[in-house]
Amino acid sequence: MTRDDPVKHLFLWPAFLVVLAIAIFPLIFSLANSFMSLRLVPPMPARYVGLENYADLLTQPRFWQTVRTTALIAFTSVAFQFVIGFAIALALAGKVRGVEFFRVTFLMPMLVAPVAVALVARQILNPTMGPLNQIATFFGFANLPYLTEANWALGSLIAVEIWQWTPFVILLLLAGLQGLPDDVYEAAELENASPWQQFWGITFPMMLPISAAVIFIRIVESFKIIDTVFVMTGGGPGVATETLTLFAYQEGFKKFNLGYTSALSFLFLAVVLILSLVYLALLKPYLEKYK
Amino acid sequence: MSIRDLKGSRKRWSLVLCLIWFAFTVFPLYWVAITSLKTPPDVVGGPTYFPFIDFQPTLKAWRELLSGVRGEFYANFWSSTIVAVSSAVIATLLGAMAAYALVRFPFRVRLLSGIIFFAVAMGGFLFGREILGIAPATASILAFCVALALSVFINRFPLPGKVLENDDIVFWFVSQRLFPPIVVAFALFLLYSEMGKMGFKMTDTYLGLTLAYIAFSLPIVVWLMRDFISALPLEIEEAALVDNVPQWRIFLQIVLPMARPGLIATFVITLAFTWNEFLFALFLTNSEWQTLPVLIAGQNSQRGDEWWAISAAALVAIIPMIVVAGLLGRLMRSGLLSGAVK
Repeated sequence: MTRDDPVKHLFLWPAFLVVLAIAIFPLIFSLANSFMSLRLVPPMPARYVGLENYADLLTQPRFWQTVRTTALIAFTSVAFQFVIGFAIALALAGKVRGVEFFRVTFLMPMLVAPVAVALVARQILNPTMGPLNQIATFFGFANLPYLTEANWALGSLIAVEIWQWTPFVILLLLAGLQGLPDDVYEAAELENASPWQQFWGITFPMMLPISAAVIFIRIVESFKIIDTVFVMTGGGPGVATETLTLFAYQEGFKKFNLGYTSALSFLFLAVVLILSLVYLALLKPYLEKYK
Repeated sequence: MSIRDLKGSRKRWSLVLCLIWFAFTVFPLYWVAITSLKTPPDVVGGPTYFPFIDFQPTLKAWRELLSGVRGEFYANFWSSTIVAVSSAVIATLLGAMAAYALVRFPFRVRLLSGIIFFAVAMGGFLFGREILGIAPATASILAFCVALALSVFINRFPLPGKVLENDDIVFWFVSQRLFPPIVVAFALFLLYSEMGKMGFKMTDTYLGLTLAYIAFSLPIVVWLMRDFISALPLEIEEAALVDNVPQWRIFLQIVLPMARPGLIATFVITLAFTWNEFLFALFLTNSEWQTLPVLIAGQNSQRGDEWWAISAAALVAIIPMIVVAGLLGRLMRSGLLSGAVK
């Protein structure tokens, strides 16, 4: 970090400009809109309403319901993804039999379009013709309402999220595990540390920074969930599985209520921001301890 | 044989774990593949699992799809391919450049000039639209340029307030990922349509969609590439600097080749995002540049329970990414993704 050369600006600016123009600027545009009463259908002239859109949303039970649903899906699925993903990354890093084969196949789900996954899930979860129903029927539970009863539908969405995104956790944790130095383990072996002790004493602490990053990425990404919900349940039954993005979509693209949608998006942003700040604050002491 | 390899019963149990997860991972893909080979009665008559044993496979669904009887899909396939690959390549390259700059060089941005950018951009936009009566697109572009120029100019002066450094700039990039894409998607749609009214077509164009994808891939690319680049050894670069090798050659010929495992991993993650992305494609395109996910999302409502046809269409979107996964696996096996930095 001692070099200084004007050429550094040429390296940074292209990326900086694209993000500023395409991602930040529309946000400013929307923020301006969120203080307006603005409709496209039927067309209405823009009118300044201050914080009215925000107040309206915060008193609406449907908004809080979508926050709860989204948080439930995100936290539950990420917890499973992390535990399963870590276990499998450990197995792969420890050269389980057939490691080359597993490495390739385990990556696949994360690369499949969520829209396509949702369509496949609908087939498998079909309460009369699906294969899952056949298995459940064998155990005496015929025609379960996988997508048409609130709790089942939430469970199905979480299962699909786990299926799709555990590979991402595996990929990054495996890269992290392979980057750990061998000599620490050699020393531990000389001390006769059990594999269990080695995991909690060496692997887990050394993996903490990357684990924190992986969990963080997954939670933030899970909060944006729309494609899967859109195709699998459409937010139903009723609004039981409606997520924040889907709610914004319904308001913005079906009712074309621009100001309201913009306000909703900024509240959504506030929810994510608060969550991530709490997460980082909680984690900070641990990360510094092991630095 | 490494010290960390599993031994004995642990090795067996991890194999069991991997096999269970394998079954869970592969079953849905297997299911969609065989469903696309079934006839309508086979699908409706309850689940069947093995081709040639409990049902007779047929290529009917595929023939119908490829001959275009049920609507065109080649156009969507090509627009998906072109947009996804080019935006992933550009995003990885721009992001690697930015990450390199942020790892190796000090940057100083005053918080105050950032606030000035924000205030001038928003204020200028509102002022232009409400008071001067300029069209929203013109007002926003003008406000953007003025705000950017002003904040860069102001950054030269020793203003009071916090000075942001490299880590803060990385955080700024990454924090873009927190923003719900739906708000930007809709705002971009409005801005693009306004630009279209000015005679510069952005909706349903290659440029419009690709720009959006690059902007939304960059935060992750910068974050991942920063870790990969900061893990590279400095010595070779320093040696090159002593020999007066120009900076861009150091980047292209030393840093990029050394960071190749990271670049490939980042590219694949970006490609998976751009190929599968749904929301932006839905709002920024409609016919000419409509991508596969948008086409596929409409299948269920259009066709109800015609699962054989839906499966074939879904597979068209799935298969290219499975091939990519295979390639990535090969690269990992040849040691590119693990410990190339030694």
